[in-house]
Amino acid sequence: MSDVGPPYAGRVALVTGSRRGIGRMIAEHVLAHGGRVVGFARGESTIDHPDHTHVQVDVADPASVQRGFAELKQVTDAVHIVVNNAAVLTSQYSMIMPPAAAAAMVDTNLLGAFMVSREAAKLMRRSGWGRIVNISSMAVGLEPIGDSLYAASKAGLTTMGNVMAKELAPLGVTVNTLGVSAIATDMLAQLPQDKVDAVVAGLPLPRYAEPDDVLNVLDFFCSERSSYVTAQTVYLGGVH
Amino acid sequence: MLDHAAVQDIVLRALESLNDERAADDRFVVGPQTRLFGADAALDSLDLVSVIVDVEEAVSAAAGRTVMLTDDRAMSQEVSPFTDVAALTAYVLSLPELA
Repeated sequence: MSDVGPPYAGRVALVTGSRRGIGRMIAEHVLAHGGRVVGFARGESTIDHPDHTHVQVDVADPASVQRGFAELKQVTDAVHIVVNNAAVLTSQYSMIMPPAAAAAMVDTNLLGAFMVSREAAKLMRRSGWGRIVNISSMAVGLEPIGDSLYAASKAGLTTMGNVMAKELAPLGVTVNTLGVSAIATDMLAQLPQDKVDAVVAGLPLPRYAEPDDVLNVLDFFCSERSSYVTAQTVYLGGVH
Repeated sequence: MLDHAAVQDIVLRALESLNDERAADDRFVVGPQTRLFGADAALDSLDLVSVIVDVEEAVSAAAGRTVMLTDDRAMSQEVSPFTDVAALTAYVLSLPELA
């Protein structure tokens, strides 16, 4: 396999939350570079490509994840790359955060990534090669008001990923986390523009992230040459 | 319908598969009494995980439905179903989804 260019040719990537935003961007990137994509999302597919298979899965529901993998195994017996991107965000003061919204963030952002990773790892162990990338957020480092549980769920991805990195290292599987800064997505559009602008202005690199900023780190984590890179978290924009 | 012999065969094949990956002088005796877990077990923790996943996959394939061996039922058993081959075989056969 070539070490030049994005490392997706011949690989099967499972991308959660693949219908829109960062997930769709990543799925289309993998497809554009010769990879095959299985997308997990609650709604209908938004990607029309011969190498894309969409499976309607709610990652917050372990039974739905199990069914999703059963369906996935109908079209492929291998998963080489997992991008745990599916996430929900409700930004609200803790004292008035609806409990259901709080639970949804933990179930989708953290438990969902766990369930998908563990099922994918069972397939990765057969080939002795795998890359799991968890999509985290600048909220972990910035700890913005209103994002108590969102930030905690994303921080949990790093801890979870680091432990899984140890468990899966003997199987040739790396687990890393990519902390994305503000980037134009539907999720970001939920937040007041002036507040996001102020946060971005305070970053060491005070600009919004571009798609290539995300894809650059994703490519690095997924590359053949990154077999010695695991349990790492990279934040964009200078957040830490 | 999976019977005792079929399930035990699945467990033994999972162990033999594990043995195949080991050096000749590191292999263990595979049989109905092989210990899977505990101080005198021949398997380390990752080996046991590998065996459980292999058995889960094979049982699911044979049953035509997803079977999970590590849910709350397994954890609440008085005697761990992962003690030895016989215990794991008996536990698989006790699962209501295989009835």
